[in-house]
Amino acid sequence: MKKGFIVLESGETFEGVWVGGENRAGEVVFNTSHSGFEEMATDPSYFKQILVCTASQQGNYGAHREFWESKKIHIEGFVCLEIQNTDREHTWIQTLLNQKTPILHQIDTRKLTLVLRQKGTPWGALVQAQDSEHAKKIAEDLIRKAKDVDSDWPFLVSVAKPEVRKGSMSGGLKLALIDYGVKENIIRELLPYVSEITIYPSRTSSEDVLKNNPDAIILSNGPGDPAEVKESVQTIQRCLGKKPIFGICMGHQLLALALGAKTYRLKFGHRGANHPIQDKISKSIYMTSQNHGYAVDAKTLPLDIEVTHTNLYDMTVAGIKSPKYNAMSVQFHPENSPGPRDAKYIFKYFINQIEQSRR
Amino acid sequence: MARDPSIKKVLILGSGPIVIGQACEFDYSGTQACKALMKEGLEVILINSNPATIMTDPEVATKVYIEPLKPQYIERIIEKEKPDALIPTLGGQTALNAALELNRLGILKKHNLRMLGTSAEIIERAEDREKFKHVLDKIGAKAPKSYLVKEFEDGLEKGKEIGLPIILRPNYTLGGSGGGIAYSLEEYKQMLQMALYESPTSEVLVEQSILGWKEYELEVMRDRDGTFVVICSIENLDPCGVHTGDSITVAPQQTLTDKEYQDMRDEAQKIVNEIGIETGGANVQFAVNPETQERVVIEMNPRVSRSSALASKATGFPIAKIAALLAVGYRLHEITNDITKSTPCCYEPALDYVVTKIPRFNFEKFSGTQDLLSTQMKSVGEVMGIGRTFKESFMKALHSMENENIGFKKVIFSEEKIAYPNSDRIHYVAQAFREGKSIEFVKELSQIDYWFLEQIKTLIDFESEILQKPLSVEVVQQAKRMGFSDRQIADIKNIKEKDVYDFRHKNGLRPGFYQVDTCAGEFHSETPYYYSTYWCDSYQMQEKTDTVVVLGSGPNRIGQGIEFDYGCVRGVKAFQKEGLRVAMINSNPETVSTDYDTSNELYFEPLTFEYVREVMNFLKPKGFVPQWGGQTSLGLTHRLVDSGFALLGSSLETIDLAEDRGRFAGVCKELGLKIPKSEMVFSLEEALKFTKINGFPVLCRPSYVLGGRRMEVIETEEDLQTYFEKYGEFINSDSPFLIDEFLDRALEVDVDLIRSNQWCIVGGIVEHIEAAGIHSGDSMGVLPPQRLKESTSDKIEKMSMDLAHKINVIGHLNLQLAVKNDEIYILEANPRSSRSVPFVAKASKVPLVDLAVKAILDKPLPQKYNWKNVSQVSVKGVVFPFNKFKNADSILGPEMKSTGESMGRGADYSEALLKAFISSHVKLPQAGEVFLSLRDKDKDLLLPLAKQFLNLGYTLSATRGTAEFLGDHDLPCVSVRKVYEGRPNCVDRIRTGKVSIVINTTSGRKAIQDSFSIRRSCIDYAIPCVTESDAAEALLMAIKKARTGEFDVQPL
Repeated sequence: MKKGFIVLESGETFEGVWVGGENRAGEVVFNTSHSGFEEMATDPSYFKQILVCTASQQGNYGAHREFWESKKIHIEGFVCLEIQNTDREHTWIQTLLNQKTPILHQIDTRKLTLVLRQKGTPWGALVQAQDSEHAKKIAEDLIRKAKDVDSDWPFLVSVAKPEVRKGSMSGGLKLALIDYGVKENIIRELLPYVSEITIYPSRTSSEDVLKNNPDAIILSNGPGDPAEVKESVQTIQRCLGKKPIFGICMGHQLLALALGAKTYRLKFGHRGANHPIQDKISKSIYMTSQNHGYAVDAKTLPLDIEVTHTNLYDMTVAGIKSPKYNAMSVQFHPENSPGPRDAKYIFKYFINQIEQSRR
Repeated sequence: MARDPSIKKVLILGSGPIVIGQACEFDYSGTQACKALMKEGLEVILINSNPATIMTDPEVATKVYIEPLKPQYIERIIEKEKPDALIPTLGGQTALNAALELNRLGILKKHNLRMLGTSAEIIERAEDREKFKHVLDKIGAKAPKSYLVKEFEDGLEKGKEIGLPIILRPNYTLGGSGGGIAYSLEEYKQMLQMALYESPTSEVLVEQSILGWKEYELEVMRDRDGTFVVICSIENLDPCGVHTGDSITVAPQQTLTDKEYQDMRDEAQKIVNEIGIETGGANVQFAVNPETQERVVIEMNPRVSRSSALASKATGFPIAKIAALLAVGYRLHEITNDITKSTPCCYEPALDYVVTKIPRFNFEKFSGTQDLLSTQMKSVGEVMGIGRTFKESFMKALHSMENENIGFKKVIFSEEKIAYPNSDRIHYVAQAFREGKSIEFVKELSQIDYWFLEQIKTLIDFESEILQKPLSVEVVQQAKRMGFSDRQIADIKNIKEKDVYDFRHKNGLRPGFYQVDTCAGEFHSETPYYYSTYWCDSYQMQEKTDTVVVLGSGPNRIGQGIEFDYGCVRGVKAFQKEGLRVAMINSNPETVSTDYDTSNELYFEPLTFEYVREVMNFLKPKGFVPQWGGQTSLGLTHRLVDSGFALLGSSLETIDLAEDRGRFAGVCKELGLKIPKSEMVFSLEEALKFTKINGFPVLCRPSYVLGGRRMEVIETEEDLQTYFEKYGEFINSDSPFLIDEFLDRALEVDVDLIRSNQWCIVGGIVEHIEAAGIHSGDSMGVLPPQRLKESTSDKIEKMSMDLAHKINVIGHLNLQLAVKNDEIYILEANPRSSRSVPFVAKASKVPLVDLAVKAILDKPLPQKYNWKNVSQVSVKGVVFPFNKFKNADSILGPEMKSTGESMGRGADYSEALLKAFISSHVKLPQAGEVFLSLRDKDKDLLLPLAKQFLNLGYTLSATRGTAEFLGDHDLPCVSVRKVYEGRPNCVDRIRTGKVSIVINTTSGRKAIQDSFSIRRSCIDYAIPCVTESDAAEALLMAIKKARTGEFDVQPL
């Protein structure tokens, strides 16, 4: 058994068993979902993050390529109490190790979670080492290097050039999607309603987006701080009023910024599959899948912006609508994957909104 | 929004006596709901016939009626109390069926009583299998291929179409009663007939077998706005084919992908909406084909259920409480999560630990019954283990079972025991791995999912690692993290448990205590609901000198059930009233004592020395009280005291004086109290010597005994020989047999008293209705006594108090006495709370448990009590599980077999009797044929009774001897053949429905065997059958009262 450590920037170290992978650093976040480790690990919103799963046993049902939310593992490390590793079933470990993603298990994830909750989302590193002092030294260096990247994280995970995906509705809507780190399931959910979706890089210009005269613009989810995303606010502002806009997660935060609101960093973010949302559009309350570290500040929203969705855990803004510009967005993930599908109707709702606006 | 202001007075129905499939989890849910509604300022009217429950304590509701849960009684209460609304979803199937009946009879409409949270239509859509299938079709969910059958012939046809094996499910029965799996056509025919009979509507669903599929259950809630949450997902370790109540289950589910899980969740939501459940809790059961992932819906319960109690304990989400609040108008988001105190209840709990439930069985009490599990529930209790991993939680659950071997039982490898589900299957699985069998091999036999088998194999593999490696910090830490107990490690290493404990503590390997917080640490939470784990750094000691530890009674089993939880909960509350904090330790998820709301701190832990000691190490409490947890907690007392913890209440010396038969006999002798002649014997020869001197009948039992296991009354030398042949293996030099003089036809009584250093008070004397020889738990009883002379009663009180003083009891003392020819004999003394305590407290209104706390704290007696000064007569009725155990005999004896009790209260004895019988589900036929088969010594005794039946218009039939006897006394009687006399015989007569009442008294092993089929046929056809002359008289008295149609209802 090899020793491994998770070292937090704030100084705490936790010792566990090193399963494999290379030493890496990232923001350390926890997710409380019971299942869906693969969907989470491949979600580009986890870019630069070490994922701590609070559910104690992970990998039980193995890896399945069809659940991938992008083409690669995005997390910088995987931490849990116990990971499935038997001759019969170890495909999840194998999948992570194929990308050298470090895996640490047999650590007290609850204590770690309580620390993460108190400290906010600290940077940290997963390190294979002899002892914690040794680990701290290695970690310091790794964390420093890891932080030293472009703070525009969506740019780092976005497509390099536009891509077109064909939908199953021939003659149907044409959508433009600005990719800040889009989850595959957003595309999967939209394709049945449309003839095609064109996916644009995050720093795309409004001219490019509007050039093909799409019926609407989708702003995708993505990692990091919305305030650091370059060019997108301008691009969105120039599209406002010209096309219906729908944003998810990062897309929601960017829309809010474009509308003149501010965003702020949540202490430890919302990551899980059990967050209650009050939805004024459907007049209902439902469970959602969430994964974000920033939120839109309600006080800074212009008066003509409606708050359509509220997170009932902490009453933060979880959805907005601008009737003037026919733009709307949600902070959570209606495409789920993993998590409950209760909010799936929103896709259809948005499609209906577009169709109405065309008439 | 918020509460519906038009609801001011709510009627809640409980679930009646404890039966298999419906146990104290409904006390938990009902109590929780009552508390929540009372807190809302509502008036709560509660009806439950079960006196052993917390919910029937007068403080729990505005008014408590201990009355039968039958329409005419409920209606009378409705007339008296005029409630606005009825919540029928908290009292299990009993309450739901009662509500349907009230609706059908138009009683609800007549009294303008609203059903909250549900309606008759909704209940029927969920419970009626055909309607439920329509619902599934509509939403595109699949059900196993099945047909509803109303007639035998049609059933045969449909069965052929479905193909074997076939599952039978009678409509509207409890715990799958009357159902099962048929593997052959012959078996199918037999079962179909029974199932048609068992269903109150004569409808049986015959169904495609999904044997071997993976089984899941989702516990869900919905409010009137349609907000839907899954509280808990539960995965069964035992695949389909074993009733979920009899399965080992795990939460949260472990082997489904998120997609598969979400598909299931979506389907559950659609079902709940389509059924039309307005508000409340429900559960939906699914089966998944492990090869094809095909999913079918097994069933749904539109109410709070057994598994919702488990889900509540597993997650910290109080389902019943929330269901009650939703019923009176709240929405989920309007209710605050009790545990975090900051988030709303519209969320799904996140777990960072694993929970395992293991059922507890009592097959050994029902000789003739095979230990085989099927779709009909047979377990009588359950334990829950919480750990960070499945392995840790599973092992903790195993320790909680209180088996003699802690952890896995030692069994001899058997393929059959793995292939055919039985109560010990998991131990055979473990043994297979121990013998080097592969996972594939076990999977092939058992169909248990690979993942679970891998976990168990890891545990077994680690056994050899412990054996081979020296005791090191690494090995011990690993072992503890897997849930191995010190005792297990010691056994493997062939060292002492103490050595392992000392090693651990020397090296700082102590458990930590983590909170069950509903949110996996995401939010701050203060609720002190804890479990121990070795997956964390060790703790800081707490030094809580103002805290008292109350030890629970562990899993329910026959002989130790809800009555003990009553004591625990009352005890906790009484200590709190005295200004102390209480920490509760228990392992039973069904109970009120394991509600985080009951005590100041709850530790969900195995009740074994090691785990209890670690909690006490952590807490450093003022002391601990073992008086309410039955033999479980009493058995821990010695070692806890030896470990330096303060015992509160009766001292070790007192406990020993009462429990050590030799010393107890000495005490009695000193006080001049009689005890039956008794001797320890180590062989048949010694036993025969005893009987030569003292004669027959005698009472035989192993010296270590709980609930009268293997205890028999023996009348002849031949029977004594057979007894030793049967049980000889249980004799050894450590545990001899006890042989007692048996006081034939003596009147038996129970006494419960409380003594402090300053005072002593008798809470009541319960007179048994059956004569001595029937276990006190199986005997009906009455308070105040009806046959006991006042002078004898006074003498009993005095000698009970003398005894209590002599052995220096502080707190509870329970005595069992026999009275024969005005002589009083002491049969047994228990220096603890007893099974009769809740009944006595409710019948005599002496708050025994509260007084015990006063005694323990050496406080003065707050007021005078006189248990005889009661306005109502109370009768304790008894409920047996014979219908669940095919081929079990219903004859009563010194070994306890009942699962629950009821209470009948009336202005006089006959009214109380009548209600007790009704509440115990004994039919009281108003006309028809009474069949008698009497042993010689009862014939004269029961002659007047036979006469009275005739005078009331019943006809008589009897076996030849009895018929001749009756004929000789000019009573017209049909003579019927005994079974061995050829056909048609008495059993044929019973099975064809010609007989309404059976009185069958018998003794002696051979006669008992010969008359077995008489009693069995009565069980199968629900015909009242009494096996004892005094019980027969009581039955007649109740029947006479019933014929008058008079009764009254009175709150406590």
